[in-house]
Amino acid sequence: MGKYILEQSGSYNWMAIFALFTFFIIFIVAIFMILRKNDPLMKHMQELPLEDDETQIQ
Amino acid sequence: MTNLETFSYDNKIVRNFAIASVVFGIIGMLVGITAAFELVFPSLNLGIPEITYGRIRPLHTNAVIFAFVGNGIFTGVYYSLQRLLKTRMFSDLLSNIHFWGWQLIILAAAITLPLGITSSHEYAELEWPIDIAIALVWVVFGINMFGTILKRRENHLYVAIWFYIATWITVTVLHIFNNIQMPVHLFKSVYVFSGVQDALVQWWYGHNAVAFFLTTPYLGLMYYFMPKAANRPVYSYKLSIIHFWALIFIYIWAGPHHLLYTSLPDWAQSLGTVFSIMLIAPSWGGMLNGLLTLRGVWDKVRTDPILKFFVVAVTAYGMATLEGPLLSIKSLNAITHYTDWTVGHVHIGALGWNGMLTFGMLYWLIPRIYGTKLYSVKLANTHFWIGTLGILFYAIPLYWAGWTQSLMWKQFTPDGFLQYGNFLETVTQILPMYMIRAIGGTIYFVGVIVMVYNLMKTAFSGKLIANQEAQSAPREVHVAHKNEYWHKWIERKPIQMLIVSAVLILIGGIVEIIPMMMIDKNVPKIASIQPYTPLEIEGRDIYIREGCVGCHSQMVRPFRSETERYGEYSKSGEYIYDRPFLWGSKRTGPDLHRVGGKYPDSWHYNHMYDPTSMAPGSIMPMYPWLFENDLDTKYTAAKIKVHQSLGAPYPDGYADKAVADLQTQAKKVVANLAKDNIKQEGIENKEIVALIAYLQRLGTDIKVDNQNK
Repeated sequence: MGKYILEQSGSYNWMAIFALFTFFIIFIVAIFMILRKNDPLMKHMQELPLEDDETQIQ
Repeated sequence: MTNLETFSYDNKIVRNFAIASVVFGIIGMLVGITAAFELVFPSLNLGIPEITYGRIRPLHTNAVIFAFVGNGIFTGVYYSLQRLLKTRMFSDLLSNIHFWGWQLIILAAAITLPLGITSSHEYAELEWPIDIAIALVWVVFGINMFGTILKRRENHLYVAIWFYIATWITVTVLHIFNNIQMPVHLFKSVYVFSGVQDALVQWWYGHNAVAFFLTTPYLGLMYYFMPKAANRPVYSYKLSIIHFWALIFIYIWAGPHHLLYTSLPDWAQSLGTVFSIMLIAPSWGGMLNGLLTLRGVWDKVRTDPILKFFVVAVTAYGMATLEGPLLSIKSLNAITHYTDWTVGHVHIGALGWNGMLTFGMLYWLIPRIYGTKLYSVKLANTHFWIGTLGILFYAIPLYWAGWTQSLMWKQFTPDGFLQYGNFLETVTQILPMYMIRAIGGTIYFVGVIVMVYNLMKTAFSGKLIANQEAQSAPREVHVAHKNEYWHKWIERKPIQMLIVSAVLILIGGIVEIIPMMMIDKNVPKIASIQPYTPLEIEGRDIYIREGCVGCHSQMVRPFRSETERYGEYSKSGEYIYDRPFLWGSKRTGPDLHRVGGKYPDSWHYNHMYDPTSMAPGSIMPMYPWLFENDLDTKYTAAKIKVHQSLGAPYPDGYADKAVADLQTQAKKVVANLAKDNIKQEGIENKEIVALIAYLQRLGTDIKVDNQNK
């Protein structure tokens, strides 16, 4: 079935082009959303590796 | 502070993995140095098959990748995961099974590879029982990691942990699909995919072994240990989010850049190139994020050897991830592929990125888990400079050698003939570079010994804090807000993170591999191509056992400089019965795809016994054992049956008479040798006859097709 669909589609370059566009759309949107966000969470996350020493008792 | 829970971090498992990383690092590097010197002095193998170049090269690569770096990954992951999640590992038992299981696998590799038990897929050479063991131990690691994540006291997963999750799922997928084989017996299997399809799957795996074993887990370690060492948060957490998602999505597509100008269809090659170029963006985003973490503390880099190691490691990451995409541009790849440039490039990653980051991590971590201070900062600084010098002495000569040799391969005289028609001329020209490379590797190794001394003195001056006590508040129950930042959702949900990561990495694999498997026109059939005879199959397995693929390609690219030297360029349809494909990735010796019929059988006989007798100055080792070992035909019939079940068109019941056919063909080879006055008692039963039969078959079927036309 899958083989039939692929064979009938003529050129399967569309799959690569589709994937490329998916990448661009998803990541341009993601970059935009991430960069415009100013959240205290970011500061908390950034500090996580530096905080963990505080948990150690010795 | 109320309601604090007391628990402990498991430092013992961290210490164990650290020791394993160092011990196997030393072994892996020593094997590498031996291999490097063998290229200059081929007789260094002392006539011992088990330490001959072709067999120890995969031992070196496997030891460095899976033993040195692999144990380095687990050292860092077990240390950072517990602390970032404020909990002990999920199960000490699983931690120990993971540790001992992984070391046993390494031991199995160290025994089987020198014995020539190999599947020949680069960086996946181990045979099927070990592949299964790897899968089981990897699953144990996964259960332990996800178990730890699920019982965490910190709601959010730091970016390092995302990289660990992506590593785990991707390595799982890669390992399974690149090892789909049918066993012939305990130490021999046949790949289900053949030829160009096998090549695509292998380099989809091979490239992503670099991406998801040597890179993503180490990026996780970078995001954890670099802020710790600099005592400052990562430069931009937002950038790290973009770095992560972009990197894992794009990386998986880049594998075909290892197959440019080969018989792989153009569309797949183009995908490899395009996505490789795109990789520059996330890779450099990550590198800059790492280096900019040091903003305001660059003065510390002058005095702190740990930061020095990290700076060189991240810089090497940046250089290698710029160089890689550039090498994926077809016009540049035409020059660099099959040369030592690639080896230099790989070692910028291995020695610079993985090595220096591991050393920095160990210098930071060992004193802490032993509750003491580093024995000698001065020695650590000395190690840094020795190591850096070693990298330069290693890589620069190889870049030089790569360019020199490639340009010599392509040089024509004004009359239109190859100026260096004898391949050997292009090898002897670069031998001084090989010598300097071997010295460079030795210098790097001396630095490691200095580190071992320093770390041992450090450990002896303290005492291992096997269970480091810690306190933290229990995990808060998170109440989602209406307008909550979207990425918060996934940062709290490890399983969703796993699924989304898996979907992203699968897109690239599916788009590249499925059309390759399903659409017949990707591999145009050639009517005259026939499966190998039983004797040729046995000869091919000897070729695989001896690691010939490490120095000889079987892929004539469509360049005039190659068709003049080797003959007609290679077609994908010629490889449909090649399980595994043996295209190779480096030409220390010439391409062999058209070697069939080029020389008489006696030439091969003499050449395998003493290569310098036919090619004075050759650096190929001698193979006297092929003239002493009897050919083992116990599994010949079983091999035919497996190939037949995978589509090789042998007549029904052919397996039963395969050995008889093998003996008939062997007698023909012996008769050819006798014509040239080569006589050896019982030679028809020796391995050399099978190897000669295989070599004489290479690339000849298409000539029949041409004659028919």
